[in-house]
Amino acid sequence: MGLAARHLEANGIPTVIMGCAKDIVEHCGVPRFLWTDFPLGNSAGRPFDVESQAQTLELALRVLESAPAARTTVQSPLRWSADAAWKLDYLDLTKLTPDKIEERRKEFAEVKAVAKSKRDGS
Amino acid sequence: MFAADHDLPIPYMARTREYYLALGYKPYRWAHFADAPFTPLGTPLSRARVALITTAAPFQPEAGDQGPRAPYNASAKFYQVYSAPVDSKPDLRISHVGYDRLHTVPEDINAYFPLTRLQEAVAAGRIGSLSPRFHGAPTNRSHRVTMETDLPELLRRCREDGADAAVLVPS
Repeated sequence: MGLAARHLEANGIPTVIMGCAKDIVEHCGVPRFLWTDFPLGNSAGRPFDVESQAQTLELALRVLESAPAARTTVQSPLRWSADAAWKLDYLDLTKLTPDKIEERRKEFAEVKAVAKSKRDGS
Repeated sequence: MFAADHDLPIPYMARTREYYLALGYKPYRWAHFADAPFTPLGTPLSRARVALITTAAPFQPEAGDQGPRAPYNASAKFYQVYSAPVDSKPDLRISHVGYDRLHTVPEDINAYFPLTRLQEAVAAGRIGSLSPRFHGAPTNRSHRVTMETDLPELLRRCREDGADAAVLVPS
């Protein structure tokens, strides 16, 4: 999505990204970014919480309007939970036994093959 | 009292790199630029036409489990830019991407596709209007295909719709 924002922006269309993966978006380098520190999949706010979603969109619109320069990141004040322990779990290798890793390796090979055949057929 | 030491932005790139290495795969190389383009918003938002761009995928009945608890589903991916009318009540899913399956369940489309919230912002006069269509951007591992094929097509569609600005929401 970072590449898309850059391409539109370079061609005269101002953009804002709403996202959860701060490092990935900033590594790409984008014009404007509203970062919400929620688990991936909740870029637009908390599920079933209209207030949270409306607040997230409003912040993104304000970033769109008022960013002074490229690479502006604004962090949403919303918290996923009071305890930040959830952040330790994403792709946490320390929780995987060698057997589990082998299982994941096989699954990944299958997924890759499926994606390739889908892509080749598109 | 300070926040916990681990209460930081999750280092997704580092975790993904280590994970792929442990599985025996070459790490993915994320797009990276030292600079970034910038175009100031030329029209007040209350008069602007805004495009919504998503990485979510239209539900495909033949493509397996795309429900909120589906495992990663590569057959639900899409490899061409798609567009659909914003008044069509789209059914979009994210089983084809690596969202946080441990800590969230994508049962509410509004958490990853803010179309309804955008429509409310239009009704409230905060935004002039929405583009007649929203657009889907493929999550293709090939940066070359993304940059040479998909992004020019996405730009073409945004221009065709007369978009003054775009809100991009990765899932």
